[in-house]
Amino acid sequence: MKRRLAAAAAVGLSATLALTACSSSKSNTSGSGSSGSPITIKLFGADYGTAGTSNSTQTYWQSIADAFHKANPNITVQVQTIDWTDFPNKLKTLMQAKDYPDIIEGDAPQAYAQAGIAYKASDVLSASTLANLIPTFAKQGDYQGTEYGIPFTTSTRALYYNKKLFAQAGIAAAPTTWAELQADAAKIAKIGNGTIGYGMPLGPEEAQGESYMWMLGAGGGYQTDGNYTVNSAANISAFSFMNTLVKAGDTEANPGTVDRKTMWSDFAAGTVGMVGGSPAVVPIIQAAGKLQSSDWATAPFPGQTGTLTDPLGVDDQIVALNVHNEQSAIQKFLNFAYQDTYQAQFDSLYDLLPATTSAANAEANDPTFGAFVKAIPTSSAYPSNANWSDVSTKIKNTIGAAVDGTSPATVLGQIQQFALSDGS
Amino acid sequence: MQETVDTESGAQQVTAGRAAVRAPRRPGRARRLTRALAPLPWLAPALALIGFAVLWPVWEMFQTSRQHINSFGFDLGDYGWKNFSAVFDDPNLASVMARTGVWVFAVVALTVLISLAFAQLFNQRFPGRKVVRWALIAPWAASVMMTSIVFRWMLDPNNGVINVLLHQLGIVSQFNGTQASWLGNPTHAMYWMIVVAVFVSVPFTTYALLAGLSSIPAEVYEAARVDGAGRLRTYWAITFPLLRPAMTVAILINLMNVFNSFPIIYTMTGGGPDSQTSTSTVYMYTLKTLNIGQSGALSVINFGVVIVIVLIFLRANKNSLKES
Repeated sequence: MKRRLAAAAAVGLSATLALTACSSSKSNTSGSGSSGSPITIKLFGADYGTAGTSNSTQTYWQSIADAFHKANPNITVQVQTIDWTDFPNKLKTLMQAKDYPDIIEGDAPQAYAQAGIAYKASDVLSASTLANLIPTFAKQGDYQGTEYGIPFTTSTRALYYNKKLFAQAGIAAAPTTWAELQADAAKIAKIGNGTIGYGMPLGPEEAQGESYMWMLGAGGGYQTDGNYTVNSAANISAFSFMNTLVKAGDTEANPGTVDRKTMWSDFAAGTVGMVGGSPAVVPIIQAAGKLQSSDWATAPFPGQTGTLTDPLGVDDQIVALNVHNEQSAIQKFLNFAYQDTYQAQFDSLYDLLPATTSAANAEANDPTFGAFVKAIPTSSAYPSNANWSDVSTKIKNTIGAAVDGTSPATVLGQIQQFALSDGS
Repeated sequence: MQETVDTESGAQQVTAGRAAVRAPRRPGRARRLTRALAPLPWLAPALALIGFAVLWPVWEMFQTSRQHINSFGFDLGDYGWKNFSAVFDDPNLASVMARTGVWVFAVVALTVLISLAFAQLFNQRFPGRKVVRWALIAPWAASVMMTSIVFRWMLDPNNGVINVLLHQLGIVSQFNGTQASWLGNPTHAMYWMIVVAVFVSVPFTTYALLAGLSSIPAEVYEAARVDGAGRLRTYWAITFPLLRPAMTVAILINLMNVFNSFPIIYTMTGGGPDSQTSTSTVYMYTLKTLNIGQSGALSVINFGVVIVIVLIFLRANKNSLKES
């Protein structure tokens, strides 16, 4: 009697064990890719559009994946995209759970290269495609002199301004210096009714971009000669100036909690006088339908003494991971996805700029995007250190405090300390 | 069973000759041991479940807190107590812990006070009581995440309904202004999040107290009436003391729930700006995006804090729990 029960208990116990074992084990597909056995590779990317609509980047990648599957019936590409605000967290969660994607679009490649889980760009891309990448951005994918990241889409930043509000406030032209920007923002804020003079999104979504534009305006930046100088005098002076704007009520309230997408859609709704933005603001304005194309314009971003000659240029990179050993399948897919037609399709979908020279040349004379394309060669990029991914997360979480009451020197000092200590 | 007894008695015979004094005690001890182990097969599945679902994760958490694990989840080896010293050196820790204390105390105290009143009301007979009792379940049944998102939008500085209402009442002078940005200001954000936390905690607490109220026998109240006790006196001398066991359980569960509460704060402010609205549970998650080891260390600390709170509370309420 007792023994039977003990046996039953043992069965129950081992069943529990088996269940736990099942849930944690993952089927590991391996293969060279050229054989006939079916292969699945996973692509994890950022969503540049709105999830659930035809504008979603999920749709873009899925159509490429479908066309690719038709040409290579034994390779299936699983696509997952997620909006920018949740992108870093979701990606970290996947990595921490060892549920590695094979291709990541939207993150800097250096940390993966450092960990030894990334393919070199030359391993997964044909030489001709590689040579066609815009050199300024291709360099951004370097880790210790070897290219790992592959620029996929790029953008440069400029100042968007609302001509209607400018006229209402009696302003003739776009500001070229900080002092002019401050005066203009104050005039626009005086219009009242919730109108924001200058939109300063320092919330977690893209605080590192807004901050960088101001740092560049003061002649600062995240790094000097490859070393972090986050709390340099120039950067602190930039944040001190931003504080005066916030305190005077020339910006939205509590910028440290306001995300970029909120400011962009408020600009599109016609309630924001000026906001820094990439070409991606254009489709938002068009979708909102409140501003006609004659109601807004872009201008170079103002700096302390004059407009920025080295504006922020951002490229979103693709990095391929070697964890599942699917080199040839990845290579086939990337060469397929980097065709000019798909690059052009992406650019026209989101009004971003191409990552390939041939596609950029084709757009240089475009009335709307020409100015952005021409800014590419002199643009300033983010650092390309292996720990930039972590530093960027830290900036997103904390830098907003520098305009919300804490002294800029303290906040920037903490980020600097983190940048120097992390990832060693 | 048969087998064990046989060996026992065999052993007994051998030892009996050598030490006559010890002999009679041994079979007693053995029998006691067998009797103590007898329920084990029946308990084993439950124990195994506790082992896997509770003890093993706790062990893993403790292990994690002593490893150097970067934000990618790569284990860079043993790290001793460095994660703990990093967490204790963190300039945010003191304010986060103080905020956690205020958050737990404020939410639990307000919840219990409001629930006491609600329970009293719902214990009365009045037309439509059934409907009102059902209605109270709504905030409990709805996902906390959903409730938080709804509140976040209601507080939107540009066009949230709460701001529109306050604007029409003349309290908020301008949209998009400092005043309208409720969730942007850390202090105001905490007030609003406490409101939401109380809102979602009240239903459970009310029902727990209501169950306690309905278990108080009517004769006690009759006796009080005969003795000429007033309403207030009846409440303080009879209802409140007899409600204590139910209240103890309700407070205990709320303490743990609120301390571990994540979705409200994470959804409404994300703990920001710069962790100025983070409690220790939310801060643990913020750390996770940068360093898993440190996050694990903070988990261990949180775990310890919860256990200490619960032990202190149970000790203080030993008697009321015994009565139940």
